[in-house]
Amino acid sequence: MKERLEEIKTKGLEKIENAKTLVELEEVKKDLTGKKSKLAEVFKNMGSLSADEKKSVGMLTTEIKNVFAEKLSRKEEEIISNMSVLDRPIDITIPGAPVKSGALHPITQMRNDLNEAFASLGFEVYTEDDISSEKYAFDNLNFAKDHPARQSMDTYWIEGTEDKEGAERLCLKPHLTGGSVRYLLKHGAPARFVYPGKVFRNETTDARHERAFYQYEALIVDKDISFSSGMVMIQTILEKVFGKKINTRMREGFFPFTEPGYEIDMECLVCGGVGCKVCNHNGWIEVMPGGVIHPNVLKSAGLNPDEWTGFYINIGLDRLVMMRYGVDDVRLFHSSDLRFLKEFK
Amino acid sequence: MRVSLNLIKKYVDLPKNITNDKIAYDMTLRTVEVEGALNVGEKFHDIIVGKILEVKAHPNADKLRVCIVDIGEDAPVQIVCGGSNLYAGEYVVVCKPGAVVVWHGQGEPVKIEKTKMRGEESFGMICAAEEVFLSDFFPQMDEAEIIDLKGIDCAPGDNIADVLDLNDTVLEIDNKSLSNRPDLWGHYGIARELSTIYNVPLRKIESYDIDKNLPKYNVEIEETNKCSRYVAVEIDGIDERKAPIWMQAALVKCGLRPINAIVDITNYVMIATGQPLHAFDKTHVDGEKIVVRNAKKGEELLLLDNNSISLTEDDLVICDKDEPLALAGIRGGKKDSILPDTKGVLLEVASFSATAIRKTGKRFAEKTDASMRFEKGIDTQRVDEGLSLALTLIKEIFPESKIVKYNDVCPSATKKNVIEVSRKFLNERLGKVISDDVIKQILTSLGYEVTLDNDIYTCVVPTYRSTGDVTIKDDVMGDIARILSFDSFEAKPITITLEHSINQRKVLLEKRIMEYLAYRCGFYEIFTYPWIDEKYIKAAGIDTSDAIRLATPPAPELAILRKSLVPGALEAISKNLRYYDEFKIFEVSEVYRKGDYRPSSNDEILPVQHKSLTGAIVGKDAKKIFYELKGVLENMARYTHMEAITLEKDEKPNWADINAYLSIKLNDEVIGYFGLLNVKTMNECKIKRTNVAMFELNLDSLVPFASRDNKYERLPELPLVEKDLSIIVDEDVNWEIIHQTIKNKVKEVEFVDVYRGNQIPEGKKSVTFKVRMINEGSTMTMEEINEKMASILKSLEKRCGAKLREE
Repeated sequence: MKERLEEIKTKGLEKIENAKTLVELEEVKKDLTGKKSKLAEVFKNMGSLSADEKKSVGMLTTEIKNVFAEKLSRKEEEIISNMSVLDRPIDITIPGAPVKSGALHPITQMRNDLNEAFASLGFEVYTEDDISSEKYAFDNLNFAKDHPARQSMDTYWIEGTEDKEGAERLCLKPHLTGGSVRYLLKHGAPARFVYPGKVFRNETTDARHERAFYQYEALIVDKDISFSSGMVMIQTILEKVFGKKINTRMREGFFPFTEPGYEIDMECLVCGGVGCKVCNHNGWIEVMPGGVIHPNVLKSAGLNPDEWTGFYINIGLDRLVMMRYGVDDVRLFHSSDLRFLKEFK
Repeated sequence: MRVSLNLIKKYVDLPKNITNDKIAYDMTLRTVEVEGALNVGEKFHDIIVGKILEVKAHPNADKLRVCIVDIGEDAPVQIVCGGSNLYAGEYVVVCKPGAVVVWHGQGEPVKIEKTKMRGEESFGMICAAEEVFLSDFFPQMDEAEIIDLKGIDCAPGDNIADVLDLNDTVLEIDNKSLSNRPDLWGHYGIARELSTIYNVPLRKIESYDIDKNLPKYNVEIEETNKCSRYVAVEIDGIDERKAPIWMQAALVKCGLRPINAIVDITNYVMIATGQPLHAFDKTHVDGEKIVVRNAKKGEELLLLDNNSISLTEDDLVICDKDEPLALAGIRGGKKDSILPDTKGVLLEVASFSATAIRKTGKRFAEKTDASMRFEKGIDTQRVDEGLSLALTLIKEIFPESKIVKYNDVCPSATKKNVIEVSRKFLNERLGKVISDDVIKQILTSLGYEVTLDNDIYTCVVPTYRSTGDVTIKDDVMGDIARILSFDSFEAKPITITLEHSINQRKVLLEKRIMEYLAYRCGFYEIFTYPWIDEKYIKAAGIDTSDAIRLATPPAPELAILRKSLVPGALEAISKNLRYYDEFKIFEVSEVYRKGDYRPSSNDEILPVQHKSLTGAIVGKDAKKIFYELKGVLENMARYTHMEAITLEKDEKPNWADINAYLSIKLNDEVIGYFGLLNVKTMNECKIKRTNVAMFELNLDSLVPFASRDNKYERLPELPLVEKDLSIIVDEDVNWEIIHQTIKNKVKEVEFVDVYRGNQIPEGKKSVTFKVRMINEGSTMTMEEINEKMASILKSLEKRCGAKLREE
């Protein structure tokens, strides 16, 4: 009898071990522990045995039952942990389903980044209309009467107004600075605002020159501020764009609407300031002009220059985006070419 | 502009051991942008003077000679040469092995090596001017002509750069950065800046005392507004001789070509002082009289090349008693040339008005070294500097010359500006306190006369800065700041006052709409130009009668400025179809039309301008893209937090298909259009084998919410009951009617699809939709559900003639 039980045990454990699926295991379970199992049969036929034998066989069958139960549950766990939701393995190297998204223009992305940075310094966003007049684009900004930029070689004048003067001579805005006086006339001082936008110049185009380009200008007007505070605005822009502190220098520059005016150079990122082809071997790249707002401009904005002062910085976004991504042709920005725009998803 | 440091050093001693790069850097930071510093002498290494001792025939070549040359070393060397002008005793330029030359003045530089030519040893070469960058000194008549150093003080072995005064550093200065500084257009002005930057003394310019009692040369200035000073000096004993090497070298280094001594003197004085001069052959000035006047109608100026330019009554000319000799301050004519028979000259040193020169120069599209300087505004006192230096040099180079007549007519001398600057102003604007000594030292060195009284600096501006450059106290402050260097001022933090945070709802709305289109709906933002090819404007059927036009457009077909963004989008679509057949684009830009718009002041009347938004979906399935774009518009308000826009059939835009267009409305006002492009528009834009759904709306008219407006709805305790329903209706029953009929009977209605096919009778369609229902407080029973569905169907039957579609 004992041998028979041992055999049941060995064969049973073997069956459990060989089960591959939960269904098979369920079959095995029925087979080993069900009412029609061999073990149940042994139990049923125990009547002919002596009391002692009954006791020992009983203990043995119970033990085998427990062994089966434990083995079954361990096997079940094993099978579940090796189970997959898939019928068969899949090719996990096939590309994933694309996320369908368009993109903002790379210049818009940069503008939004800068707007955010300046908003944190309390700067509002202002937009001047595209069509302005000589009065706002030049006269108010202290441009000399015969400044070359007033010629049609440089500025796009509106048909029918080109021979007029001042407020009656209309143009596509050739720079952003005219917007500063419009904002100040409307909102007064103190003021701090950025005014990004497109400007238009009558130029011959090539990989580095465009007729329409995007600029970003910031102006702060307040009492008792020194021109050196402009450095903070410059750092704000560069850190935002390049993600790290960039070395800069301020040097003498001249613009009709500033006094003093300065040019801001940043250390060449390609060579780290040692000198290379990109920076024309001097280690610095001219990135933006800036300066203290000229008293005559403040006067145009109805502000008393003895009371108020302020400073500008202006940066060409096309150029900055070109540096950020390594774009080599400025004309791509206005090409509407989706092959280009898709690179900025 | 090029600046020779040798010439600078005539006027100022620069600090010892200072590098050229440091000078360039300091000047860039404080004065003008130095684009580069070039060591001129470098390229002349191993190029030396040789003396030909003997010229022999070459045994194997007719055109070559074998020369024995003393090059200053222990023994003479043998050099093979094909020069046409070789002779014993000639001093020539020799390139020793190791020197770098350019063959026949063209192509890449080549290194000279010891070689054999047709079997004869040649130690280097005897050079022609073009090969060693010396054509300016020795104009080459024919290819085989080598440089003959006759008359030049030199000895065998001397480096040619030493002989020709070419060991120098030349700074290349960006002319743009000089445009507001008329004082810097000569070396003396740059020397003054360097003397200030390094705090070293500036030497005076050469002086010359002219005898004021000489007979007067007849000078008449008719246009005293345009010519504020004219000095005429008649000098005898001037001929066409060459200028000394040092002067030629100075000109060459500054980019000017030496011609003859008297012309070179005028050019040299100009680069030294910034004052242009002119020398006329005295015999060409008929009537011994100079008249400075406007040209007469029809008058012409004959040029050296026998061409002539026609003058207008606006042009200032220098004339003799009859006719123009020169275009004042710009260029001379044929009559002013110095020729081999010249015996004497009339020297002109004058001041012309910047405006007059600029105007005339612009018409002739010509910038000369003289006009560039006059255009910036030169003070009348500069004439004295120019004259003194010129007469000093003439005496030196033409010792036998004699001044015979003289006149100095000065209708108006440049006045010194006087500016008062308070200490307080300087301290505030500079952001730090600078000592009186430093301020006085800087300003005095720059030429100001400064007195301090009662905390006010009275600054008398030098004449050379008084022609428009320095006029207000800010200019004086700027001079101090730049000399100290902007970088030396500590960056002051910008303080923020927390009165209120920035809350520009319109700005944010625009950003949200753009992000919605790009990132939720898959559109790409494009930039187009404001000038649009007429072809696309016509294709879109846009009326151009109130369009704005450019006076000088980039191209004739690009004169019209956009009234709508649709034409630009059409062009973009047409171009992109080469690479893609399905895509979505959008643009936000301004559009313009004639009107009366005064954004800033009443005197300025601008065209009406507003921001517009256009978007397009390109794809083959017209129906699909129509509904896709409709969905984009319908969901826009929800996702961008603005007042809802509605779509209603109204007027058809010219570009839209007759069967698929809607107006975009905000509070019953039309703010834009939406629809499929019609076939005609697509044909005209060469948009083929695809379809386009398009919209345009006035972005400025959209109204942002102050905050999000949707309210939280309590979650239902019981599940919604969802039922699909398919009905059959006539073709002309649209969804709007069906929706209106049932929307109040259930909680939600959702359109599923429209089907036409086998089981559906001709002229009818099957419409399928989902309804969701709920009972307040209790679960719906089967009966309640059936009852509701029956009631819905009954209403549909009544209002739309609908029948339930049998499965």
